[in-house]
Amino acid sequence: MRSIVKAASVLAFAPWVAVPVAAQTDYYNTGTGRPLRIEDAYPVEFRAIEMNIAPLRLERARGGVYRWSVHPGVALGLLPRTHLEVGLPLAVVEAAAGASRTGIAGVEMGAFHTLNAETSIPAIAVGADVFLPVGSLAGEDAYATFKGIMTRTLPWARFHVNAELTAGPSIARADSAAGTEHADISRWLVGLAADKTLPLRSLLIGGEVFADQPVDPSAAVAWSAGAGARFQLTPRWTLDGGLGRRFSGDDRTWYVTLGSAFAIGIP
Amino acid sequence: MTYSTSATPAEVHRPCRGGVSWTVRLAVLLSVALATPAAGQWVATYDQFYRQSSHNWQFRRNYPAADRLFNAFDYGHAILYERLLTAPNAPIAQLEQREYDFITRRLLVSPPRVPLEEAAIEVEYAKLVPEAKQMFDWAHVLHRQVYDVWADERIALERKDAEVSRLLKYYRSRPDIAFSTKPKSMELMEGQPYSLSFRRSYPKFNGLIWAYHWLQVGLYEPLVTGETSEARQTGVAAALTRFRQMLENPPSRMPSVMPMTAAIAPEFSRRYPEIAIIFDNLHAMHDVISDVLADARVPRSRKRAEILLAARRYRDDTTAVVSEADWRSMAIAMGLAEQGGPAVGPVEPAAKRDTASASSGHAGHGARVDSTTRRDSTAVPAAGADPMVRLLMALLEDPAIRARIAADPALRRATEQAIRALPPEHRDHLLEMLGERPTPDSLQSSGNTPRGSSRPGTP
Repeated sequence: MRSIVKAASVLAFAPWVAVPVAAQTDYYNTGTGRPLRIEDAYPVEFRAIEMNIAPLRLERARGGVYRWSVHPGVALGLLPRTHLEVGLPLAVVEAAAGASRTGIAGVEMGAFHTLNAETSIPAIAVGADVFLPVGSLAGEDAYATFKGIMTRTLPWARFHVNAELTAGPSIARADSAAGTEHADISRWLVGLAADKTLPLRSLLIGGEVFADQPVDPSAAVAWSAGAGARFQLTPRWTLDGGLGRRFSGDDRTWYVTLGSAFAIGIP
Repeated sequence: MTYSTSATPAEVHRPCRGGVSWTVRLAVLLSVALATPAAGQWVATYDQFYRQSSHNWQFRRNYPAADRLFNAFDYGHAILYERLLTAPNAPIAQLEQREYDFITRRLLVSPPRVPLEEAAIEVEYAKLVPEAKQMFDWAHVLHRQVYDVWADERIALERKDAEVSRLLKYYRSRPDIAFSTKPKSMELMEGQPYSLSFRRSYPKFNGLIWAYHWLQVGLYEPLVTGETSEARQTGVAAALTRFRQMLENPPSRMPSVMPMTAAIAPEFSRRYPEIAIIFDNLHAMHDVISDVLADARVPRSRKRAEILLAARRYRDDTTAVVSEADWRSMAIAMGLAEQGGPAVGPVEPAAKRDTASASSGHAGHGARVDSTTRRDSTAVPAAGADPMVRLLMALLEDPAIRARIAADPALRRATEQAIRALPPEHRDHLLEMLGERPTPDSLQSSGNTPRGSSRPGTP
């Protein structure tokens, strides 16, 4: 059972699912996991509230083990070029034997600040996320992640570079159940994404590749690639979907994401 | 393996065989992207959400056809700036024919469902002057929110003014990007070295932009004057029809001078003069930026500075300010029909445009190219001149108005040109009232000679 809890907790605060609402109102502003792991350098607009309603992630690991997670959360554009966010992930972890457990998998809080608008200088942002071990599936440890983001826009595509570093205790492989659950949290991560906008359709499609080092120091660097789309359904509603594959490392999984965001202003 | 520091994004995306190569490639991209700060501009402007209220998106809900048209308008502005900036030597036909045809035959026929992300269309322009882009975005937010208030049938008439007042306050809470509520002299738009460049080269596209602006301000009038929901719906539908008629046989039915809110939407302007002035400043700055981008004498390296200078002038409350009365007089003197006609009520025929000369770029030979210049001296038919004569007579009989006109060069020129466009039997008397003794020469050099047409490099 401990392995399940541990797996749930690492799933919950794994960076690409732990940050619930780094995205903006607009389909053009991507956020972590919405739909790609690599995000752009723009925050939620000043005085906006963005609610990520039931963003879903499904992973299929080796051996047919499924991990489900839903990450409702809210981001507040409280200051110019800055948003704060809070998320409350819920996780369902199935063990190979068919047993499963559901529960709150921590509390996540983050801050995101864009330093500049893009000119001949790329847009640059910095952020920090904290995972607190709250809930039955939250594990025992707190983690803090610091990140830098850069966005460069060309007439034919945008490019985003992300780099992250996480502070917190390591998770040993022995804590997982015979290696079927792997610590997804990254000690560091670096990645590149490119997206193409179809402005008259209010549709953005993109792809990414990133490498991360799990907090298990004995684990190999993992490479992942993904693709996704983000679509403006109405002025307030945005839909997104993505899929990806971790194609190296010890925990090679497929994953699918589906989400929607709804925006209003701060009254 | 070696890596060039001039690696392109495409090269970075080339499939790799090992982890190290991707890491290095990412580092290369990072260093390339960061290699230009010294030459770049550090800009900290930012987006702000619209004012949260119960009336949000009511215009979209109650007037979907008009709302969708405005989504299409976003594209027209954005693609115009992007093309002018990134392809300054492209054939005129790229905008005047290809883009124009796409917009009028496809986009305006089937407009987008939701507001467009202009930064994805005007990529290079948005990077050149994000501050100016923010000014437009913010003013467009005000536009849409005022529509929302007046489109929301749940808001009682007596509450609408208070709600609009809140919107104005919210708008002005961003002085870094808000247009001034003081009316500005036409000199800002038409008296600069680059002025008129765009409309001379692209009369059809310019007419399209002015038709956009006509509808954007004109739509307020049926909303404000309609006494019932049905009347407002009918009035908005009529304004849309009128807008579409402007696109027939372009640019002959398009506005031939910049539509001014006080002329197109007089009741709205009376009720909300500050907002009307903001929109006129917004639309004037649209034209200024078109001119800066279109004028080859402004090198690429100076375009940002020129645009920011104009932006500052349209934001502050001191540069080239004219009085509100002068602003209204100017709007009338420029000719309602020439501005596209009223948004509500019967339409008086505008002077016939010489489309051949306009589209060929010979703007000085018959086509109206200046907001203060009529198309030709005999353009106003005698039957249509009477109301204008009566109007000018009434204005000039008022010594206070005469004084204001005399004090404002742009207004004086506008009035003078309006008089010169009238049939000869009225000119002398009105010119005398204006304080001008007409001479044969002055009569010959009537309003169809655009100011500055002899500048080097201008058509």
